[in-house]
Amino acid sequence: MKRVINHSKDLKLTKDIKTGFTIPENYFMGIEDELFSRLIVEKLPKHDGFKTPKGYFENFENVIIERTKNKKEKLIHFKRKKIKLISVAASIVLLLFFGSNFIYNTNTELSSEEIISWLDMNANSLSNDEIAFALTEVNTNDINPYLTIKNEDIIESLLNSNEVDYLIEE
Amino acid sequence: MIDEIALVKELQNIQTKERAFRILIKVYKERLYWHIRKIVISHNDADDVLQNTFIKVFKGIDNFKQDSKLYSWMYRIATNESITFINKRARERNIDITEMKQELVSNLQSDDCFSGNYIELTLQNAVATLPEKQQLVFNMKYFDHMKYQEISEILGTTVGGLKASYFQAVKKIENYIKKKHN
Repeated sequence: MKRVINHSKDLKLTKDIKTGFTIPENYFMGIEDELFSRLIVEKLPKHDGFKTPKGYFENFENVIIERTKNKKEKLIHFKRKKIKLISVAASIVLLLFFGSNFIYNTNTELSSEEIISWLDMNANSLSNDEIAFALTEVNTNDINPYLTIKNEDIIESLLNSNEVDYLIEE
Repeated sequence: MIDEIALVKELQNIQTKERAFRILIKVYKERLYWHIRKIVISHNDADDVLQNTFIKVFKGIDNFKQDSKLYSWMYRIATNESITFINKRARERNIDITEMKQELVSNLQSDDCFSGNYIELTLQNAVATLPEKQQLVFNMKYFDHMKYQEISEILGTTVGGLKASYFQAVKKIENYIKKKHN
């Protein structure tokens, strides 16, 4: 005799039985894609083919530690210094813009320290084009005129910057 | 296995910073190198980006608040540095990032630091045709065997989104290889 599967009954059973097992949310979403991906990648090579010169990693810690101690790690030409100063100025404008937005317009959880930290980590990697683009997006009327940066803070920031050594020396 | 919380404390203490930083470099240098290498392709460029990554980690560690895991934060810096580097190179050459990647991969055959065979080179060519995000997800999942949750913490994308990206990437790679062999 054929066993007739009663789906609704079976489903009810699985609901009623308390196994105690749980699965992550949305576990079954996209599982087909994942299985197909696995089938396809089984045919692909397992190595990327890249290698390093012999002994490359052996002395790496010393190279980095040396760089952290050597503040004059790069020769900065006059043109680059100007670009750096422009970058610092642009960062301050961005900081003022985001700062004013932060105070007046939003309930964002970003603190000033986090914005400063982000700028510190990313400002050097911004190109002139990116800074110029960002500045065109800033409406200077939106900048809070009462939000000022103290002279002492600017001086401290410049003194903490590696590049200022070169400016003083020149 | 390192105790991340203790290590971060040591890194943020001026007395123990250098010793802790040496440990940090020792633990992560290879993992970060291979992550960067797959993005920038050439060894010399990967070396530059890896050094800059560790310098940024050194400079930024005092502001690290442990909202994310240390390794996720470092991977994020490495990823951003690598993409910024490639973008800059592409801009200098007046080409887009995908063209830049394809050009870099086309130089692999004559690269002393590449020992891949024909099929491995074909795979690199296929990966270079993918959009940047799909390349990252594919490399991290397929070559680095990272879990979706880990990738999600680094790239800030949902696990569901990553699964979809990976599937798209794999399908495109399969099509590329099929096309090349037909």
